[in-house]
Parts: sequence; structure tokens; C-alpha cells
Amino acid sequence: MILLQAAVGGLLLGAVYALFSSGLTLIWGMMNFINFAHGEFVMLGMYVALLIATGLHGGPAAYGPGAAVALFMLGVVVYMALVKHVMRGPMLAQILSTFGLALLLRYTAFFIFRSDFRTLPQSSLSGTINLGGIYIPLAQLVAGIVAALLAIGMHLLLTRTALGSRLLAVAEDRNAAMLMGIRPDRMQALAWGLSAASAGIAGALMAIAFPFSPEVGATFALTAFVVVTLGGFGSVPGAMIAGLIIGLVQALAGYLIGPIYKDVVVYGLFVAVLWIRPQGLFGTL
Amino acid sequence: MLLEAEQVSRSFGGFLALSDASLAVEAGEIVGLIGPNGAGKSTFFNCIAGDLAPSGGRIRFDGVDVTYAAAERHAELGIGRTFQVPATFEELSILDNVMVGAFLRHHRRADAEAKAMEMLRLTGLDRMAGQRAGILGTPGRKRLGIARVLATEPRLLLLDEALAGLTPSEIQQAIELVRRIHATGITIVIVEHIMEVILSLAARVLVFNQGRTIAQGKPQDVVNDPKVIEAYLGHHHKRRRARAPA
Amino acid sequence: MTQRRIASLALAAGLLLYPLLVSDLNGAAFLQDVGATLLLAAISASAWNIVGGYAGQVSVGHAMFFGAGAYVPLLVFDLWQWPPLVGLPLGIAVAVLLALAVGTPTLRLQGHYFSMATIAVAELIRIVVSNWDLLGASIGIQGPAIARGWWDLTFRSSVPYYYIFLGVLAVLLYATYRMERSRFGYYLRAIRAGERAAASLGVPVRHTKLMALAMSAAFTAVAGSLYAFKLGYVNPEAGLGILVSVQMVITAALGGAGRLTGPLIGAIVLVPLQSATNSWFGGSGTGLTYILYGGIILLLARFEPGGLIVLWQHLRRIGARKPEVAHAA
Repeated sequence: MILLQAAVGGLLLGAVYALFSSGLTLIWGMMNFINFAHGEFVMLGMYVALLIATGLHGGPAAYGPGAAVALFMLGVVVYMALVKHVMRGPMLAQILSTFGLALLLRYTAFFIFRSDFRTLPQSSLSGTINLGGIYIPLAQLVAGIVAALLAIGMHLLLTRTALGSRLLAVAEDRNAAMLMGIRPDRMQALAWGLSAASAGIAGALMAIAFPFSPEVGATFALTAFVVVTLGGFGSVPGAMIAGLIIGLVQALAGYLIGPIYKDVVVYGLFVAVLWIRPQGLFGTL
Repeated sequence: MLLEAEQVSRSFGGFLALSDASLAVEAGEIVGLIGPNGAGKSTFFNCIAGDLAPSGGRIRFDGVDVTYAAAERHAELGIGRTFQVPATFEELSILDNVMVGAFLRHHRRADAEAKAMEMLRLTGLDRMAGQRAGILGTPGRKRLGIARVLATEPRLLLLDEALAGLTPSEIQQAIELVRRIHATGITIVIVEHIMEVILSLAARVLVFNQGRTIAQGKPQDVVNDPKVIEAYLGHHHKRRRARAPA
Repeated sequence: MTQRRIASLALAAGLLLYPLLVSDLNGAAFLQDVGATLLLAAISASAWNIVGGYAGQVSVGHAMFFGAGAYVPLLVFDLWQWPPLVGLPLGIAVAVLLALAVGTPTLRLQGHYFSMATIAVAELIRIVVSNWDLLGASIGIQGPAIARGWWDLTFRSSVPYYYIFLGVLAVLLYATYRMERSRFGYYLRAIRAGERAAASLGVPVRHTKLMALAMSAAFTAVAGSLYAFKLGYVNPEAGLGILVSVQMVITAALGGAGRLTGPLIGAIVLVPLQSATNSWFGGSGTGLTYILYGGIILLLARFEPGGLIVLWQHLRRIGARKPEVAHAA
């Protein structure tokens, strides 16, 4: 029973991983670019939720949308001011650009919020729910379900809407897309906005259920790396499935082997994927 | 027989880009590969060059099976190629670009530098040796690409649309350069769109269309082959001519 | 270029005499310590430069090699009371084997993917080490508290370390200089400039990248060992943490990645800067230092990825084009 509880908890967290990793893989597939500050975007989503809760006295329903808007704007700004320019340059500059951004965001957060772990104030989402013998904190349940819905929503947006097909067209063949009248620059800015927003919402959702501090960004970045690698280059459905797998594996490893091994198993899985199948489950490399 | 490609095919996913292409080249020949865009000649070219692994068939160079050999092995054995879009080492100097090629056969820096300068003189770039390769325009880059690959002392040189984008007088100079290279004993396979070039250089021509080879022979003969005309001008043209009053 | 010759000689003389020049100042010991730290940073960054700068394979996981070099000598002392120096060649061997094991699957990945992979592998190693009691877990390992002889390399003053580090740096820079002019060096730069074209010219791309990584790992391990000798202590964060890797990359990039003296110049700018900000801002110092770092890296990446060396060349060219500005000085 407890095993099942751990598994369910892992899947719920995995759904959140799926959400923010989808954003990372979207950019990777579109521009062959890894945002090394993606973990910090998630972290910022958490703090936006905190500010909404303490500064604006908003309720949980406001956290997600608030983080989405704030991070969407940040994503677009980062693209326009930074990424757009370094993309055409040397590899080292590309990698350093988002690394520098990550340091800047992380330590600015440290400076403003200090290093203590924070939690969001008690709200309608506190308490535990009993689902057929399994006890799940309501906050985690809500976070997981909302994340899953949003991740599916992102996939549908990309594959079923006109806007989505324009984004994918740029990912597939930039020049051909230009010839069809699509503006790659705009689409890429939009993709960055979406990517950052997905990270921000994921952060806000996790903030409801777990304590957070400025340094968690690094861990989320690594988790996202593992998920997108397993899911495959540029594959949003791949990231979704891989997110659930990683969440599950992590929880089961922690429960069956020991809490220390939670991360070891996940990174070990990463190395195994690299050795055996670097294109991941659904990617084309 | 220097190069033997037998029934080479290559598919990308579900798309069969090349099927059953065969070519035999004797040492000392100049062979041309022609055909409309998307006909498969570049795919075939890249398979011979070692840049692309065929899905089927075999390729032998001087008796050695190179079907699945890496590009670097091809170069080692004596197959050199240029790129359609010149892939110059932008940040390196013009001399250093060629030295990278020269180092294949000359391991000591002084020898490689001497060989590189020789190739630069051959292609008329020697006075710009110390400058950054990024300053060159397209014709300069193409010449640099040739100098670079010549420094690897190839026995077979694969030229990928080396003359595209050049002015008529530049084309004449380029044709002269190719003739001079051929005169040193290097066998040449050239992919080209410009008919004038093929007619003046190639002793033999292989025509591609829709992934297959449809004709082979002397350039003058091939150019008048109805199958070849149809491939270039399209089925449409053939029907129009048929419907036109006699 | 005699101007460059003079500058190089001045730099060399300055480095050689620095500890003596500051020995009469207030806080001499601190300044000498900063000097030693500067040289160590230059060594690590120069080691990284071989594979990250010249070959263009931007590893952000070099801490794994640094950590190997730091842990093995101290482990050798911890377990068998041997002088840590004995562990130096062992640490190098471990780092090289690690480079071959990690490089083989990762070097075939392109650009960002490769960098991402190196981060994850280094993190994996750090987590494993920080949970392994034999290696001191999260507490770490200590070296000799009191020197049993010169071979324990436990000096109270920073000055002997300074000169040892200077010697190692000189050897590394000389080796890099020779490599730059060799066939191997040309092949590295060709790989960075265009792998596909390089392969078509006969450059054995995979093999060359792997050799570069192994060489880089070996020298990085030496840097790690020197760190362990000086500090007499290592823990997972200090030896294997991501900031160690990031520091190497930034230091090399700031001065000029792929240039011989780039990493040294980067160290000359960053290490004193870091010491200064750490002192000025007191407790919150570390946070602000990294905010500054982040800002510098961002600006560097956005405006002058070639680093200070290239920036200097651009400024000189601008100066040359405007003679009236030069005369006004």
C-alpha cells in the first residue's frame, strides 16, 4: 500500500516534471538550444506565487496565471535581448549566455529572499485526501493533475492549432517557414515565452505542495535535462511520458532502495540513455 | 578501376532518394554527374564521399571496400571532396585552412606549411595567406576549398557544384584550374548544373532523375538523349511538343 | 611584434616577483595567498582550455576531473598515511580513465547536448561521492595536519605554493604552446571551426576529441591535486561542485577561450575581483560575487564572446582608425 502511495506521489510529481520539461524540449527542438536557466525559471515561478500570496493576498487560483504571465514576459525578453543575438555566434557564447543568466537569477533571488526554505501560506488546498486507502496531500494531487492537463494542453496547442503548426514549421525548417510567410523570429520569441511560462506555472504548482528556496533551480534544471534526454530531442509528447517515468522511478528508488538513492538512480538512468540510446525514446538525432 | 559504385541506394525515412545507382571510374578520367534538382546526384555524391552511409549497394575505391567507411578514412585513402556551400574554417587564417588538409600527409609543421603555400599559389590565394578566411567572398571560398582538399593529395577529387555562383569569366578560370588539377593525374568526378562546364570538362556523363540513373555516355550524346531532355524539361514539355501542329 | 614581447616579458617578470614585491605591504600574507589562488585558477582554466577552448567542446563538468585530482592524494594519505604527492599520478590516471569513459558516449553529441551531458555526469559523481563513507561522504577528507617532511607539501606560508603553482602553469602553457603549433593543435581548431569539413580532410574527429579531453582531464587533475596540497582538505562541494566547473569555463572565456594566455588573463581579472567583493560585502559577499559573475558572463556572451583579448584587439583597431583620439592623450 505504501508502495502504491509512493508510486502515485511520484507520478503526480512526474506530471509537474513533464510540464516544465516540455518547455525545455520545445526550445531544444526548435532552435537546437538548451536553456541552462530553465531551472531558475521554475524557481522564479515559485517566488511569484509567494509574492502573490503575501503581497497581493491572492489565493491559489491566482498563482498559476500570475506565474504564467510574469514568466511568459521574462521568456520573451530573454529571447529578444539575449538569445536572438547569441544564437548565430560561437557555441561557447550560446552556452555561457543562459548560464550567466542562471547565475544572475539564482543569486539575485538569494540576495532578496535569503537561503531559507519558504512555504506558501495555508489555503483551501491544505490537508490530505484519502483515495481508496492511499493518502495524498491535496496540494500534491491538485498540482499533479493541473500540470498533467496543462502539459496535454501544450501538446494540443502545438499539434492542433494554427499557431502551433506555425511554431512547429519553424522548428522543422526555418527557411521553408519563412517562404510561407511565417516570421521565425516571432515564433521563436513566442516559444520562449511559452517555455518560460510552462516552467513558471510548474514552479507555482510545486510551491503549493512543497517548500522552496532559491537553490532548487539547479535540481530542477538537472531533472529537466534527464527528462528531455529520455523523452528525445524536441519531442513534447516524449517529455511528457519521460516526466512521468522519471517521477515514478525517483519515488520508487527512494522508497525501495533509500532516500539517498533517489537522485543517483535518476542520473544513472540519464547516463544509461546516453550510452545506449542518445536520441531518447521519441527523438530523432 | 579506381572507383566502383554498385547499385547504391539510400532512403531517408520512407523516402527513397537514390536507388540502384552504379558508376565505374577509371583512373585519369573526368566524369560528370548531372540531373535536375532533387534527382539524387547529391545523395550519390555524399555516399561516395563517405558523408552518408548507403542503405544498400557497395562502393569500392582502388579495391578497398569503403561502403560504410567514415569520411576521414575516405580522405586517408585518397578521396577528396569539396562542399556545395563552402565549409571554410572561418576563424582560421587562409593558410591555416589549407594546412589542416596538408597535415594529413605531412606531419611536421614546416612540411605542411610548405605544401599549403604550394596549393595556395596554385589557386591564386598565396598573397592572402595570413588573413582570416572569413573575409573571402564566395569565389574565394571555393578556391580555398579546392586548395584545402588538394593539400590532402587525393587521387580522386569529388567536386560538388564547385562553379555555381561564379561569373562567366570566373567560370572560365575555374575550368582552367580543374584542367590543371586533372593534368597532375587526379581523377575527377564533378557534380554540376552548368552545361557549358560539363560539356567542356567531362569525357563521360551520368544523368540522374528521381533517384535513378537514366543515361550514361559522352556529353554530346547524352545531351541529345530524349530521356534526358524529358527529365530536365519535364513531361509537360514533351506533351506540348506532341500536341503542337507538325 | 615587439610590443607583445615586452608585454609578455613584463607579465612573466611580474608573476615571478609578485610574492617578493608584496612582502613588505600590509596584509602581505593575504596578498600572497590571493596570488597562489590566482595561479591555481589559471592552471584549471588553461587545462579546460585544451578541450573547451581549442576544440570547442564546452564541458561544464570538468569538476569531475578536478575532484579526482583532489580526492585521490588525500585518500591515499587518509587510508595509508602516504604522502599525498604519491597520489598525484594516481589521481591523473583516474581522471584520464574517467575522461575516456565519459567522453566516448558524450563527445558524439552536438553542442548544447554535450554540455548538458557533462553537467549531469559530474553531478552524478558528486552525489555518489557525497554519500560514500570511504570518501568522507559530505564531510570530506583531510590531509596531513603537520608536515612530516617537505614531501607532504604542507607549508604554512603561501609562498612555496605560489612558486610550485607558477612552475606547473609554466609547464602547462609551454605544452599548450607546442600543441598549438602541432598537427594535433591544428586538428583541434579545425574541429571547432567545422567538424564535417575537418572529417572530409582526414581529421580523425572522434579520436582527436577524446585525446583532447583526456589531456585536459590530466592537467585538470593536477590542478585538483595542487588544490588539495595547499588546502589540506576537500569535500564534495569544493572538489566536485558545479561552481568549480563553471569557474573554469568563465575564467577561460573571460580572457579568451582558445588562446594561449586567455585563461591566465581571465584569472588575473577574476580572482582579485572575487577576493575584493568577498571582503567588501562581508556575509552576503558570496551572493553578490555571483551576481557580478553572472552579469559579466552575460555581457561577455552577448557582446564579446572572444573575451578580453579580442576586445583589446577591437579597441586597438578602433583607436587606429581615429588618429585624432590617439593624439589627444
